[in-house]
Amino acid sequence: MNCPMQHRNSETLMAYAAGELDRETGAAIERHLSACPACRSKVAGQVALWNALDIWEAPPVSPDFDRRLYRRIREQVRLSWWERLARPFRPMPLRQALPLGATACLLVIASFLIQQTDGLAPVQPRSEVVRADQVERTLDDLELLRQFGPANQAETSRADTM
Amino acid sequence: MALAAAALSAAAGEPTAASDKPAAQQARPARNPIDRWNQMSPEERERELSKLPPERARQIRERIRRYNQLPAQEKQELREGYQKFAQLPADKQEIVRQSMREFRQLPMERRPLVRRAIGQLRAMPEGPRGARMNSEEFRSQFSPQERQIIRDITEYLPGQPK
Amino acid sequence: MESRVKTEMGVAAAALDYDAELMLRVKDGDGVSFGLLLEKHRVSVIHFLYRLVQEAAVAEELAQEVFLRVYRSRNSYEPTAKFTTWLFRIATHLGLNWLRDGKRDRGLERLDDTSPDLPVRQICDRRVSVEQRLVYDVKLEEVRQAVAALPEKQRAAVLMHKYEEMEYAQIAKVLGCSESAVKSLLFRAYETLRARLAHMGRT
Repeated sequence: MNCPMQHRNSETLMAYAAGELDRETGAAIERHLSACPACRSKVAGQVALWNALDIWEAPPVSPDFDRRLYRRIREQVRLSWWERLARPFRPMPLRQALPLGATACLLVIASFLIQQTDGLAPVQPRSEVVRADQVERTLDDLELLRQFGPANQAETSRADTM
Repeated sequence: MALAAAALSAAAGEPTAASDKPAAQQARPARNPIDRWNQMSPEERERELSKLPPERARQIRERIRRYNQLPAQEKQELREGYQKFAQLPADKQEIVRQSMREFRQLPMERRPLVRRAIGQLRAMPEGPRGARMNSEEFRSQFSPQERQIIRDITEYLPGQPK
Repeated sequence: MESRVKTEMGVAAAALDYDAELMLRVKDGDGVSFGLLLEKHRVSVIHFLYRLVQEAAVAEELAQEVFLRVYRSRNSYEPTAKFTTWLFRIATHLGLNWLRDGKRDRGLERLDDTSPDLPVRQICDRRVSVEQRLVYDVKLEEVRQAVAALPEKQRAAVLMHKYEEMEYAQIAKVLGCSESAVKSLLFRAYETLRARLAHMGRT
């Protein structure tokens, strides 16, 4: 038996199955379901499907994922610096070329040094205000560094003598 | 010329000129973000925290409180260690950070051994250190992942162990 | 601006705004903000790609490419859409391209990938019997086959809707189609999947 409302209300039934409807609309759907086996079956089927899909867990991420990514980023930065150097310059009169050439050299050197850390160097704050996520990151770093601090080194030495 | 100078300064990872700040603030240079956070007014701190989800803000408040309650000696050692770490180029910081995270995921019983190896290697001159890391004995003691952790932290984590 | 965003758009939208704000800081040269975005979204991007291409190592390679492109695009980034919309648009594009490049003809890899880069997946409860493990493996294979059999866009839509819990509007922006087209994709996909899998999930 097909419910004449079923197709029109697919989205609503889906939202009901996901528990996303407000109380009033949900109650209205429940009243309909109590009288409509077709819709009831569809909702039950959707819930069952989601339960089945739930068993599909993804494997854990490799512990060196970030390391590999940052290595690729560094490679990209090095490559783009070479590409920039390879771009040809148009010839120009010598009296214009000399000072421009000197400035270009300085900019190339600066560009090379920027590229070594381009995009990966933390921006220095323009004021004394520190962002909360910066603090959080520092706390994370401190906890990591603490593993290799003097206190833990002493603990390792004590363990050696035990 | 000004552009090149600014670029070189930024590329070298130096902080923006302290002379830009008022004299009163120059008296206590606080490069550690947590120290700078502690120098902000409560209103400024709360304004920054309010930009984050409430639970995350609460955790940051708690972690800062615990950090502030550390013994002075331990805090100073952490500060010094962090300062040296923060002077590394950002990509090297990330390598060290990643390695320290991987260290934290090692089985408990492996950590003292790996930590001790790191401490010993960091205290060695470069030549003997390389020989030791390439030795068959060293390779047999540690897994490939552990050797990578040891290599990265030994090479990049600044400051000699005491 | 932040307080106006919060009151008008709600806390969730303000959190979304925060991703865009982080990306704008990356545009300014802040590498720390890139790290924060990576930490926040790495897992969901990899898991989405894993279920799309169904090969764990490929998923990680594609995810690396996603974040590489995010980083490369930093100078031209404009927050015209939610950050996650942009992120998943890149991921879907790369994933679907990989599928269309003929790799789909290779067939599905086994779930317990023995690649040295990834740990072999274990069911956590060591008391699970061999029989239970076999039943689980069979069910999982059915799920994977059923999803793999869906047309690509339906597959991507289902993965975003079911596992990433995205709303129709956002999925539409990721796939570059209308919201009604997404609903149509999803309803057809779920209908197909119900026919194949609903028997498994009934209690």
